[in-house]
Amino acid sequence: MEPIIATEDLRKVYRLGKVDVPALRGVDLVVQEGEFIAVVGPSGCGKSTLLHVLGGLTAPSSGHVLVDGNDFMTMNDADRTRFRRHTIGFVFQRFNLLPTLTARDNIAIAQDIQGNGFNPHHFQAVVELLGIEGKLKHRPYAMSGGEQQRVAIARAVICEPKILLADEPTGNLDTENSQIALNMLRTLNRSFRQTILMITHNPEAAAVADRIIRMRDGRIVSG
Amino acid sequence: MVNKMIAENVLHRPVRSTVSILAVAIEVAMVMLVVGMTSGMLNETARRVEGVGADIMVQPPNASFMLGLSSAPVPVKVGDRLAQVPHVLAVTPVLIQSSLTNGIALIWGIDMASWDRVGGGFVYHAGGPMTGPDDALVDDWYARANHVKVGQTLTLLSHEFRVSGIVEHGKGSRLFIPLSTAQDLAGAHDKASIFFVRCTEPAYTSDTLDAIHHLIPAYQVLSIKEYMSLMTSNNLPALQAFVTALIGVAVTIGFLVIFLSMYTTITERTREIGILKSLGASKTYIIGVVLREAGALCAVGIIVGCVGTVLARRLIEASFPTLAVELTLGWGFRAAILALVGTLIGASYPALRAAQLDPVDALAYE
Repeated sequence: MEPIIATEDLRKVYRLGKVDVPALRGVDLVVQEGEFIAVVGPSGCGKSTLLHVLGGLTAPSSGHVLVDGNDFMTMNDADRTRFRRHTIGFVFQRFNLLPTLTARDNIAIAQDIQGNGFNPHHFQAVVELLGIEGKLKHRPYAMSGGEQQRVAIARAVICEPKILLADEPTGNLDTENSQIALNMLRTLNRSFRQTILMITHNPEAAAVADRIIRMRDGRIVSG
Repeated sequence: MVNKMIAENVLHRPVRSTVSILAVAIEVAMVMLVVGMTSGMLNETARRVEGVGADIMVQPPNASFMLGLSSAPVPVKVGDRLAQVPHVLAVTPVLIQSSLTNGIALIWGIDMASWDRVGGGFVYHAGGPMTGPDDALVDDWYARANHVKVGQTLTLLSHEFRVSGIVEHGKGSRLFIPLSTAQDLAGAHDKASIFFVRCTEPAYTSDTLDAIHHLIPAYQVLSIKEYMSLMTSNNLPALQAFVTALIGVAVTIGFLVIFLSMYTTITERTREIGILKSLGASKTYIIGVVLREAGALCAVGIIVGCVGTVLARRLIEASFPTLAVELTLGWGFRAAILALVGTLIGASYPALRAAQLDPVDALAYE
């Protein structure tokens, strides 16, 4: 079976002023559909950059990147945006909910951007799965961190993306809420074969994944 | 959903939204009031000339159709020659003088007898006709604006007059004095600035006009209808330039405030734009959100501007009863279009800047 993510000698170099900063120095990675992978490593090792490249938020500098059959090296920004809209869901450490919208609207806006319109049945199923029915009218400032992260997960999966990319989803949560968020990711993976790539510093969070990839200095060193 | 987001954003920043709305409202009100006051002044002046009741007006060579600018008196005897033209019922000479006392005012020196034959006379709100050389008439608007009463002394052209009557507005001028007194004060004995001619029937106007042209070819002869058509700002280049300049200032104010407002918004919401991009929002989507938000602020601004204009008009007319402000739907529409175009141009650069933000940088924005 074709892997859903395949990178070969993936490199990403940022330019800071007149200095080139290599963030990824040749990443070879294969992810099968339905896998739950944790990416761990020290700060600055390139974890977030890898996630951004795989999510199409930034272009790779060189190498090969195939995500769901799409070759990122041949895609421009508009192509990657379109791809991201239909294939990728993001969960961030800081939740990144739109502050002026209610939880319901924060979730629904993902459907609006995707362009398929509001699907009330799917919406209901997702909010029930994540246990946020009672919070739909609340704005982010009126919700706890755990509730905000559940809304963020709901927003990420409402359009049924093939890949869920989570950037330290438990980084701003206490132990109890971390466990709830991880359980939900695990449920999504087990029940719906949701492919998940999760960055974490937390060994307990990483342990939830099927496979742990360790990175150092822009390369994968194990996993 | 986008509409909801825009509404929430607008409500979330009330001060910024209010300032933007006020800027557009001021822009719309300024355009409508400047045009309204200009056309009001011109049309009201034209209507007053029409209200004299004549069919034709005759002015000396090189005189301006702006009657206050005509300072080329001609012999009153020209009126006798005009009276001989076929189909002429009556002719009345008028000597127009400008007074700078209590603001700029045009004073018409009239001969009551011939004036009444041409226009059927005044309608008196109080008092009666001028009977002595130092009598004066004022119209009701002037009387209201200056709190003038019958019997009161009025200083005009450095001369004291007794107000003998207050007449219905809409007949030539707001201030009238006897022709002979006006001639004495101007040192223009037996002279007039303009002649108003009444035909036996309005249908003879064209024939009479031709006959007068033939009789005194160098003079300017206009039917009152032609005069009415000349009284537009288009025929007054300086006024047109003034109006255009004020409209330009108003549109620039609206443009700059919207530009600054949306630019600030984009900077404040960098992270939110990054979130939208992470969800797959295209550049078109982001541009659409910014422009629609600016458009929504503009729409409210236009409504506030229109309401403000109507209120301002009432205030102006209450404070300055002699000023006429004519608001037209056409100019309201044009002011709205100008505001909308200015807003969209003002919001375009911030919108493009938002669309071009790098999503990774935007998400990391503090």
